[in-house]
Amino acid sequence: MAADITLLFKASVKTVKTRNKALGLIDSSIRDETGGAKRARPRDRDSFGGRAREVISNISKLKDFLLQHRKDYVNAGGVMCSDVSRMTDSERDQIDQDAQIFMRTCAEAIGQLRSDMGKQVVSAQVRDHRAAVLDLIEAYLKGVCKLYSEQRAVRVKRVVDKKRLSRLEPEQISHNKQQRDGEENNDKPVSDSNVDLWEDNRVEDDLSPEEIQMFEQENQRLVGEMNSLLDEVRHIEGKVVEISRLQEIFSEKVLQQETEIDSIHQLVVGATENVKEGNEDIREAIKNNAGFRVWILFFLVMCSFSLLFLDWYDG
Amino acid sequence: MAASIREKQTAALKRMLNFNAPPLKNTTESVWKVLIYDRFGQDIISPLLSVKELRDMGITLHLLLHTDRDPIPDVPAIYFVMPTEENTDRICQDLRNQLYESYYLNFISAISRSKLEDIASAALAANAVNQVTKVFDQYLNFITLEDDMFILCNQNKEHISYHAINKPDIIDTDMEAIMDTIVDSLFCFFVTLGAVPIIRCPRGNAAEMVAVKLDKKLRENLRDARNSLFTGDTMGTGQFSFQRPLFVLADRNLDLATPLHHTWTYQALIHDVLDFHLNRVSVEESQGSEASPAGARPKKKNKKSYDLTGADKFWQKHKGSPFPEVAEAVQEELDTYRAQEDEVKRLKSIMGLEGEDDGAISMLSDNTAKLTSAVSSLPELLEKKRLIDLHTNVATAVLDHIKSRKLDVYFEYEEKLMSKSTLDKSLLDIISDPDAGTVEDKMRLFLIYYITSQQPPSEVSFHQDGCNTSQLRDYDKFHSQNGVKNLVLKQHNLPVTRILDNLMEMNPPVKYYRIIISQAIVFVVGGGNYIEYQNLVDYTKARQGKRVLYGCSELFNAAQFMKQLSQLGQK
Repeated sequence: MAADITLLFKASVKTVKTRNKALGLIDSSIRDETGGAKRARPRDRDSFGGRAREVISNISKLKDFLLQHRKDYVNAGGVMCSDVSRMTDSERDQIDQDAQIFMRTCAEAIGQLRSDMGKQVVSAQVRDHRAAVLDLIEAYLKGVCKLYSEQRAVRVKRVVDKKRLSRLEPEQISHNKQQRDGEENNDKPVSDSNVDLWEDNRVEDDLSPEEIQMFEQENQRLVGEMNSLLDEVRHIEGKVVEISRLQEIFSEKVLQQETEIDSIHQLVVGATENVKEGNEDIREAIKNNAGFRVWILFFLVMCSFSLLFLDWYDG
Repeated sequence: MAASIREKQTAALKRMLNFNAPPLKNTTESVWKVLIYDRFGQDIISPLLSVKELRDMGITLHLLLHTDRDPIPDVPAIYFVMPTEENTDRICQDLRNQLYESYYLNFISAISRSKLEDIASAALAANAVNQVTKVFDQYLNFITLEDDMFILCNQNKEHISYHAINKPDIIDTDMEAIMDTIVDSLFCFFVTLGAVPIIRCPRGNAAEMVAVKLDKKLRENLRDARNSLFTGDTMGTGQFSFQRPLFVLADRNLDLATPLHHTWTYQALIHDVLDFHLNRVSVEESQGSEASPAGARPKKKNKKSYDLTGADKFWQKHKGSPFPEVAEAVQEELDTYRAQEDEVKRLKSIMGLEGEDDGAISMLSDNTAKLTSAVSSLPELLEKKRLIDLHTNVATAVLDHIKSRKLDVYFEYEEKLMSKSTLDKSLLDIISDPDAGTVEDKMRLFLIYYITSQQPPSEVSFHQDGCNTSQLRDYDKFHSQNGVKNLVLKQHNLPVTRILDNLMEMNPPVKYYRIIISQAIVFVVGGGNYIEYQNLVDYTKARQGKRVLYGCSELFNAAQFMKQLSQLGQK
């Protein structure tokens, strides 16, 4: 419920102007008014502010791009739909690559700005301001990167699930075999037994209908094995993506701790120095104490000798 | 009306910080700004917005108005200051020095025409008229501490303190000035709340003066329907009369016992015993508890200060609980935290076993998911730990004070005094007990006894302790002057609460329709404290559908109040 008194302010400006005119003050500043505002502009583009704004606009472009294609990328429309908007995998890879390159360049640009800022000689407040601006830009970039990695993880997971689903139908045989072995990644012995079977059954080279059927079965089996291998690989890729995300988080934490450990190290070094100096001081103090004692003793002996002397002198 | 005053003020501040435009959704690519405030502005903003929140809104630097500031040529600057003479001079100086790219001036309360012209002429002289992009009167001249509690100001609070209002040798112009300050802040409060109140006050003291002035100001503003500050798009005239809150003005003089009372609830204890203002408490921590050997340098106590904010769930839940409950609750929180920590550690050991167990891959993915969730819940866990540490430290400090001064004894005794039940120990016993409390505590107890019993007890034992009797003298003056009411207290309701209760239940008959009062604002002229606030909160909890806000011109604890009383007594 605040009151906008900008118009009131402008009216006051007019009043003051007319008052000044009435008082006869020369208002040559009228001409310079617009010039003054323009004076700052041309410097903008190369200055810190201009470049920072460029980086922000780039990151925004990336974000818009990612969001725009997100639906297609994730393809939430179902496994078997063949809409025109569906993306091929190569397009997806292209997007991934482009996004990564873009993010890298943005991160480099931020690093560049930071080092430039370190070199320039400006006041403390301007420095703080620029540091805060760079922090904000970095946070923004991180947000956009998170968008991207989430998208990617979703995609990989989806592919894995799709493969798992599609594996269910044709491979009754291999499925049974795998059930027998009890493990999903024992493909080698299965293929070996298949090969043995095949060799045992091979009688002649003609393509008789049984053999055709056999070959077809073998083909199907091989296709199934390849598919499962592919599936494993994709699965592992998904895991690796997740692990890389976790690792990023961990490395962040470790870096944070590194600075703290450094400071603790400094403190400990300082503490050992202090303790050493303390030891030295104690040693000196002991020495002084000892020396002091010697002097006291000497003084007492001298006193007693002088007493004896006086006594002898008198007596 | 459902939003609390804290939310309203925060929303107003955020809107201001967004150049007075309603906040947009995607403000991550925001413009960077610099915030400049004076001490009043700082006091208003600091309980509501943390530095991180300011950063999130794009504010890279926040500076005091009267410091040396360097030019930052391509950033807009938002000013949030009081329209005083020296502030306007400094703004003119900034304009002349061309420190920033554009200027958004926000005045905490309304600025006068002449000062506006000063700024205008400085802007003209510096060719900066186009740079002054917007000028606003924010009407935010009050400090909100809790969702339903506010005070008037923190800087210059001696001008409107209890002492200043009740001085026997006060001159009329001073009184006028004080009243004007109070009314200005109250007016800002009602503008921000967006409601015109029904005002009720007792007769014959400062509260009545405030009520009259406030009424006049509100009427003047409403009369000018076009420019009225109360017609926003949130209020139709239909809702107008049914939602007017009840504004109860009370004067401190009708209940002098409560500020001196020893208390037992968490927030009030912190205010009484530790250094607590504007939601920030400073605790002294002594290092180690072993006795220092003779001749060694005294151990340094370092002061740590903590912010008790609205985001701290433990604080919001327990700030009104009695102290033993708080201690238990901290212990509970600690236990839950440890349980969660153990679970994270258990995950780590599962990770270790994973290599041997190459069973189903589903187990692997499950663990990865668990690890991800554990890692993402780590920041929450850390935050929880920080809060637990904070409350443990604060509660320990309070407990130390309680133990050393035997505050629980005082509390019980005073409760009995104030409820006029039988006393099992005589007053003299407690006062002459050497290790129960400081001289101040005894003084407070004595004053409460004096107030509630109406017969002046012997002052002999009193002098024995060397307390100063100036407060006593001053209290005599009041007693004779104003006929202070000693309300008989039932159910431990404090006098202020009882007044409010009467007013709300009585429903004073209005000619055309009965107004159902669902919201009330209690304001104590001359100062208030957390005990009254807590009492009002408890009262509100017992009654459904009624919301009560508490405000006072300043917040003092018993020690500060006693100081003011003694100053008054010396005159």
